[in-house]
Amino acid sequence: MSRLDTKFGKKLKKYGATEFNRCYNCGTCTAVCSLTNSEDSFPRSMVRLSAAGDQNGIESSLKPWLCYYCGECSTSCPQTANPGELMMSLRRWLTGRYDWTGLSGLFYRSSLVTIIAMVLVFAGVIGYAAYESFDMERIMHTAHYFEMFAIMGVFAVILLPNIVRMWYLTVIKPGYKLPVKVYASSMSELFIHMFTQKRALGCDDNQARWFAHLILVIGYLTLLFTTVFLDWFSTESMFVVVLGYVVSAIVFAVTFVFVLGRIKQKQEIAKHSRPSDWFFIIWLLLMGITAFAVRLFIDLDLLAGNLWLFLFHFTILAQWALIIVPFGKWTHFLYRSFAMYFDKLQKSK
Amino acid sequence: MKKKLGVYICACGGNISDYVDIEKVREAVKDEDCLVLAKTTMFACGDTNQKDMEQDIKENDLSGIVVASCSPKLHLTTFRGVSERAGLNKYNYVHANIREQGSWAHSDNKVGATEKAINLVKAAIAKARLAESLEPIIIESKRSVAVIGAGVAGMKAAISLARMKDEVYLIEREGKVGGHLSALEKISPEGTDGRELLARLEKEIAAEPNITLLTNAEVTGTSGNIGDFKVDVTIKGSQGEMVKQFVAGSILVATGFNSYTPAEGEFGYSNIKSVITLPEFKALISEGGKADADGTMRLYYNNREVQSIAYIYCVGSRQVKGENKYCSRYCCTAAIQSSLDVREKFPNVDNFHFTRGVRTYGKQELIYKESNDKGDVYIQFPDKKPPVVSEENGKVLVKAIDILSEKSESEVVADLLVLVTGMVPDSDTALGNLLKLPKGRDKFFNEIHPKLRPVETVIDGITIAGTCQGPKNVAESVNSALSAAAKSHSFVSLGELELEPIVAYVDNDTCNWCTACSDVCPFSAVSMIDHNGKAVAQINKSTCKGCGMCLPVCPSDSIELISFTNKEMESMIDVLAQ
Ligand SMILES: Cc1cc2nc3c(=O)[nH]c(=O)nc-3n(C[C@H](O)[C@H](O)[C@H](O)COP(=O)(O)OP(=O)(O)OC[C@H]3O[C@@H](n4cnc5c(N)ncnc54)[C@H](O)[C@@H]3O)c2cc1C
Ligand code: SF4
Ligand code: SF4
Ligand code: SF4
Ligand code: SF4
Ligand code: SF4
Repeated sequence: MSRLDTKFGKKLKKYGATEFNRCYNCGTCTAVCSLTNSEDSFPRSMVRLSAAGDQNGIESSLKPWLCYYCGECSTSCPQTANPGELMMSLRRWLTGRYDWTGLSGLFYRSSLVTIIAMVLVFAGVIGYAAYESFDMERIMHTAHYFEMFAIMGVFAVILLPNIVRMWYLTVIKPGYKLPVKVYASSMSELFIHMFTQKRALGCDDNQARWFAHLILVIGYLTLLFTTVFLDWFSTESMFVVVLGYVVSAIVFAVTFVFVLGRIKQKQEIAKHSRPSDWFFIIWLLLMGITAFAVRLFIDLDLLAGNLWLFLFHFTILAQWALIIVPFGKWTHFLYRSFAMYFDKLQKSK
Repeated sequence: MKKKLGVYICACGGNISDYVDIEKVREAVKDEDCLVLAKTTMFACGDTNQKDMEQDIKENDLSGIVVASCSPKLHLTTFRGVSERAGLNKYNYVHANIREQGSWAHSDNKVGATEKAINLVKAAIAKARLAESLEPIIIESKRSVAVIGAGVAGMKAAISLARMKDEVYLIEREGKVGGHLSALEKISPEGTDGRELLARLEKEIAAEPNITLLTNAEVTGTSGNIGDFKVDVTIKGSQGEMVKQFVAGSILVATGFNSYTPAEGEFGYSNIKSVITLPEFKALISEGGKADADGTMRLYYNNREVQSIAYIYCVGSRQVKGENKYCSRYCCTAAIQSSLDVREKFPNVDNFHFTRGVRTYGKQELIYKESNDKGDVYIQFPDKKPPVVSEENGKVLVKAIDILSEKSESEVVADLLVLVTGMVPDSDTALGNLLKLPKGRDKFFNEIHPKLRPVETVIDGITIAGTCQGPKNVAESVNSALSAAAKSHSFVSLGELELEPIVAYVDNDTCNWCTACSDVCPFSAVSMIDHNGKAVAQINKSTCKGCGMCLPVCPSDSIELISFTNKEMESMIDVLAQ
């Protein structure tokens, strides 16, 4: 029994879903979706739960994560109810729901708060640099360790608890009692999807986008690895230096293509960019560009006279690590993979 | 003088000739007495054949024809037309149905089918030998129409008739005109104000000198027939009742509908205070608002603020168990319109609609979309499992199965539950009984044919319009009113009418007024008259439909039906019995 409620629908509007109330349940969207199947029927069912305000039904569902936003449903909807964007908005809302700090939801609902947070981080970086009397050596050293600790800290304090919450809402609360063996044997699902996003290939005409996405993920992770563990900015190894150049170039090239797509708005998915989407993609682009530029300036012996460039890179890095990764769109990468894992768990019953 | 007959046997493009050997039929009948020609044809109704027939009739000076083809329901008028064009009185044409009663019925037995066709054609020839020329009955028609019921349908019909220069008596039972229109603040889909519309129609009626408006008036007696209905109207006034009589050439009935009243306990009606019907809700929207200190309007019912409203659709319509199987057509739209109105007036209200599938057809779809856009929630419950209603702390708890959600049970706690009640026929059946108007299974008045004769009734001269015929919205009511007005006008505009001469008549010498015929006549065509000091039956030519019901019941065999006389029928039976 679920109690009908219009408040949830109104709340969802702040997460980007503004048109789903128009749905008259024809089911066209579900019929055209290439990722849905009889076991997991969507997106109409999710539009329905949203209209009825069934918050419990939505938070226990993994379906929003099973959609890879090809946008076919939205182009086919006779009521222009935009079910694809509804699915996206549900992912945003769920991200907020999983997040124990409540900051995710706050950032999604308000760009102003996001901008304030960004400015605060910027002020922190500049404040710290001033504290070190703008000593390049020390700042670079700190930046390196900051990156390392930020990743671990964010993971331990924010992401891990959030994943546990997601597990609780989707597996434990709905009453799935599973032996440890099942948890272990389903593990492979998690990693396959985390690194390949294999499921997105199921979307019609999506091969190119999937491939670009895969390259971006590999590029991003390698860049992270190169800067954090191979210490790209201080290394003497020729191999590492070149590797860093290549991957940072890949990151900014691919993100540049994505940014262009969102500006041109040709594909359905690119038509409804929210501030959270812009932050994610632009910061990724800036990360690639600034990392590339920093190493280039080092190699040309120009960095010493251009501290601002490093501070810019550091700011981008800090905003990325403290805001976008724990509370922004980055988490989708994580939740999607875990959704596939939990889905496998649910179905193993 | 001996008749000269022609026979045409039709192949119907194989429909007949594939099973009936029409050449054999022709052979078998061609030497019958009186026959001058016998032909087969591929399509009797085809243009070329019609022309050939006309030529045959003229050249051979035929005094009668027989067409053996499909059912006379399809082509009786076609071949009557052929006869008339060739200068032959149309009652000298006799039809034999050898398709529906021959080839199609006996497709498994070709020999038998052919034999039967031969007999049917021979019987028709026997009748044709005795057939007589007849002239239509001409009656005078008074150029006036009685319009009964002054809702939107009756008013529009009256105005339309008056503008065609007919004298109109507009008879309304209540003290004022307008019917249900006066209670509609906003009429969907365009949102016109019903009271404005009504004021306009009233003005137009007042300006028409041809309309005599009688309010507080009811028809209490009628007699006569098309062209000449004598109408008694009883008018209640402050000085008591008076009866007004007048003659009308046609009667147009537009007596409207009643809103369905839920039974006690039906979805909590009359047991739970906050359960009301759609018309009651309409009134509440107009009257139940109070402004806040800050100027926001709030809706109150029984002194409690209303913030959430549930609607249950199809109450009294589309009943699974009850008798009202029909859809009332107006109510989805009217309920959604009301929910939009209430939202507009009281911004902090939430609407929850429990439907059986929304039927906002045509342009009305737009208001459904608007309602969705504004965030109204629609639940669709299964036909056989209606919502369950109970009281919870002065509020109404509505539980329903939602066939559109996977987890299908939904509930809402509402401050007010609106039962979206449908249309039922007027509870006062007196007028229908008086005019002997037939009713359909839905108990609304019935037309002759829903598609081809949608506003005429089987009683000649009486038309029906608006919701007395079945559920309609305002636009549909007006459409049917204008069409009924045109039809009624056609009955009275020429000053005289031609009627079928195929009617029954009584032999005064043998009749002894046993009343048997009068008792069975479905059209009240029989009355008693004095014939040389003896009471006998008389049949009114303009009311008699020639149905033949009275013939077999007469113990003294005193009734003859023109064109189906005993002699004619016996001659046919003789042929068939040979
Ligand atoms: C709550 C509600 C909301 C509605 N909303 C809409 C809407 O938004 N849009 C829309 O298009 N339609 C709407 N309708 C439908 C609309 O009211 C009808 O279609 C229309 O009023 C029908 O007109 P009518 O003339 O056929 O019948 P009525 O309005 O019923 O008029 C019949 C008249 O005949 C009189 N009468 C009855 N019997 C006799 C008799 N024996 N002798 C003399 N007089 C007699 C009655 O007193 C009455 O005045 C709504 C109806 C209701 C109940
Ligand atoms: S296609 Fe549009 S209207 Fe149809 S079910 Fe999907 S969202 Fe609703
Ligand atoms: S966006 Fe694509 S994958 Fe997502 S629900 Fe719509 S059709 Fe399915
Ligand atoms: S119009 Fe709608 S509410 Fe009225 S009977 Fe038909 S389906 Fe039911
Ligand atoms: S033929 Fe029919 S209508 Fe005519 S008087 Fe006899 S029963 Fe009545
Ligand atoms: S049934 Fe025959 S006898 Fe009796 S009243 Fe009629 S016509 Fe006369």
